[in-house]
Amino acid sequence: MSNRVLMVAQRDFLATVTSRGFLLGLLVMPLLLLVLAVLIPRFARAHGPPIHGEVAVIDASGKVLAELRAALSPERLAASAAPRINAGGPPAGFGQSGPPPILTVIERTGGADPGQAKAWLIQPPKAEPPHLAFIVIHTDAVVRAPGEREFGGYDLYVSRSLDDGTEGVIHEGVRRALVTTRLRSSGIDEGTVTATMRVARPQAVVVGASGEQSARRGLSRMLPFISGLLLFIGVFTAGQLLMTSTIEEKSSRVVEVLLAAVSPLELMAGKLLAQLGVGLLILTMYVGLGVLALSQFSMLSALDPLLVFYLVLFYLLAYLVYGGLMLAIGGAVSQIADAQSMMAPVMLLIVIPYVLTQFIGNAPNAPLSVALSFIPPANSFAMLARLASGTPPPVWQVCLSVAAGLAAAAAAVWFAAKVLRIGLLMQGKPPDLATLVRWARMA
Amino acid sequence: MEAALEICGVTKTFGSTLGVDDLNLVMPRGTTYGLIGPSGAGKTTAIRMIMSILFPDRGSLRVLGRASALEAKDRIGYLPEERGVYRKMRADEFLSYIGRLKGGARAAVAARAGRLLARLGLAEAASKKCEELSKGMLQRVQFVAAIINEPELLILDEPFGGLDPLSVQLLKELIAEEQRRGATILFSTHVMAHAEELCQHIVMIHKGRKVLDEPIAGLRRRYDLRTIRLEPLDPGTDLAVLRTVAGVESVRPAADEALEIRLAEGTDPGSAVCAIAALIPPARIELARVRLEDVFIRLVTGRISTDESNLALRTHLQGLGTEGAVP
Repeated sequence: MSNRVLMVAQRDFLATVTSRGFLLGLLVMPLLLLVLAVLIPRFARAHGPPIHGEVAVIDASGKVLAELRAALSPERLAASAAPRINAGGPPAGFGQSGPPPILTVIERTGGADPGQAKAWLIQPPKAEPPHLAFIVIHTDAVVRAPGEREFGGYDLYVSRSLDDGTEGVIHEGVRRALVTTRLRSSGIDEGTVTATMRVARPQAVVVGASGEQSARRGLSRMLPFISGLLLFIGVFTAGQLLMTSTIEEKSSRVVEVLLAAVSPLELMAGKLLAQLGVGLLILTMYVGLGVLALSQFSMLSALDPLLVFYLVLFYLLAYLVYGGLMLAIGGAVSQIADAQSMMAPVMLLIVIPYVLTQFIGNAPNAPLSVALSFIPPANSFAMLARLASGTPPPVWQVCLSVAAGLAAAAAAVWFAAKVLRIGLLMQGKPPDLATLVRWARMA
Repeated sequence: MEAALEICGVTKTFGSTLGVDDLNLVMPRGTTYGLIGPSGAGKTTAIRMIMSILFPDRGSLRVLGRASALEAKDRIGYLPEERGVYRKMRADEFLSYIGRLKGGARAAVAARAGRLLARLGLAEAASKKCEELSKGMLQRVQFVAAIINEPELLILDEPFGGLDPLSVQLLKELIAEEQRRGATILFSTHVMAHAEELCQHIVMIHKGRKVLDEPIAGLRRRYDLRTIRLEPLDPGTDLAVLRTVAGVESVRPAADEALEIRLAEGTDPGSAVCAIAALIPPARIELARVRLEDVFIRLVTGRISTDESNLALRTHLQGLGTEGAVP
């Protein structure tokens, strides 16, 4: 490789990685991930003031009310919420994240009259205590009507101010109360039924040539998506930087000074090499952080080192395709604003494959997944996601995917070289796509 | 010795626009050529083809004995018309980068950059970022970048554009030094006075075509405009007597309180000077030297027919605003 190419690459690389914007971005992204992974769930679970109010019940069956009072009591609601909260997920039956509501169940008499329920629920603003819900339990809710196979249910009327979470709590409370009452009236022990229904789910053990491992199925399932995300971040960031640095050199008119010292091809190669390095630096940082995190939880064995190799290989191929196109855009326009319209279709070329990685990871051998593995520029994302999945593809498919990627990379770089040769000295009105193609044919 | 530059039948078009049309030129080594013509004549296009930044549709070039400037970039210095710098880079780092790209050793490049910057009064600015320098300072830095590698061929495209007189003078001194060093210099300008001062040989381009390729000395002999410049001893002298001198075609005031006396074709200028001096005692009387803009206007006059357009062209070529009038 020419010494001049290396000098151009070194300057561009250093100028990029020492810029304030890049360093800030490098720190901001992990911070954002930290916020997404840790802080948002924590805030989401943060306790606000509990909701309180009255729930009126007409128990036409005459059997459920006592059990419903118990099911909606603060103690029972807190007890049923606690295990899930401790497990880090949403509370059982709760669509909400705050503490369980404090509900006062009051009995109403009379038939199942919707008019009565609606009238009771309509209150002036800030009235105390607030009327939250009106439950009408059907007569056959506990004992089936003669000749019927199904039990009756209940109607629920709620105030406009009732949130979805509390509504969920009430539904769950009524369901439990009805089930308990039905079992009791049938002479069945609820504890026996609950125990009968419960089957503990063991952690799967992956059996491989290297022996048995406790499976980190969650991690394994996420690997295709994580690898796609890493590929996307690396390629997208490097491509953007490549385009902006080219536009900057054009708009500052330094490009002609450079062309007096290097050929357009050397300049292009140097710039591609520089941002390739920047992308690899970003990938190294994220992979390094990931490895660090896995080693903290003694889960390093879940990461196959070969996958890191494939990540670098397909990053290289995807970068050359996307980078070539971004370089061509940078060489064609004089200002960042002019690049926006041309960038949109090019961005879709990596956004769509990235979005598809989740599907591809879940169905690595589906016809669409296999087909996308050979169609650039999706091939890098598709093949990497398949390689990261539980059922990696055969070697010949990997080779074919790499070959397709190489062909696309060569075409993109050729296109960029042609556009740069004409576009680097062009100023003023940006060309359209047809003009770019004409330049490529002319140069 | 092989020529520094050989251009043979080079043509370049941009769509339907003709940039350069069948240009032929040979520049011997060690010479200074002025490539002149109004803006848009094709000078920059010709230079970009010499530098292999653009490529001709037809014709061929040899630069410093090579088939392309790409093979000799380390031996060429180039100051483009549209020149820039990396704004976030320090001036000395920028020069070091360009010098090393052109094959210079880091230490040698740094030493030469420091010397040249000091010469141009920029010693203090060397460690400043380019974005902190004034426009004039930046232009001087850019000039240093063009000569940082002690080039054999130096191509300067409008090097004085937008510079203050002091900077122009400093740059002229550096160009003279490069001439003395033996560099071949191709100097493009649309300001003819600069070319007259610095060049030995003039190539004129108009609408992409070469209209003149001649040494300055030959031009002066060939394109004598038969103009006498007279400054009377007595400013109140009656000038009407000048009409009685044989061959006097017109008389008009010049810029420096002198008169410009135009002679008819075929008139012997020596006799006319003697006759005029006998009638009006002169404080100063001389044959005016040919000016490149006059030559240029003569050469293209078939295409420029009105006095207004001639005036506009001359003004443009002189780079003098509204001064200058066509006799």
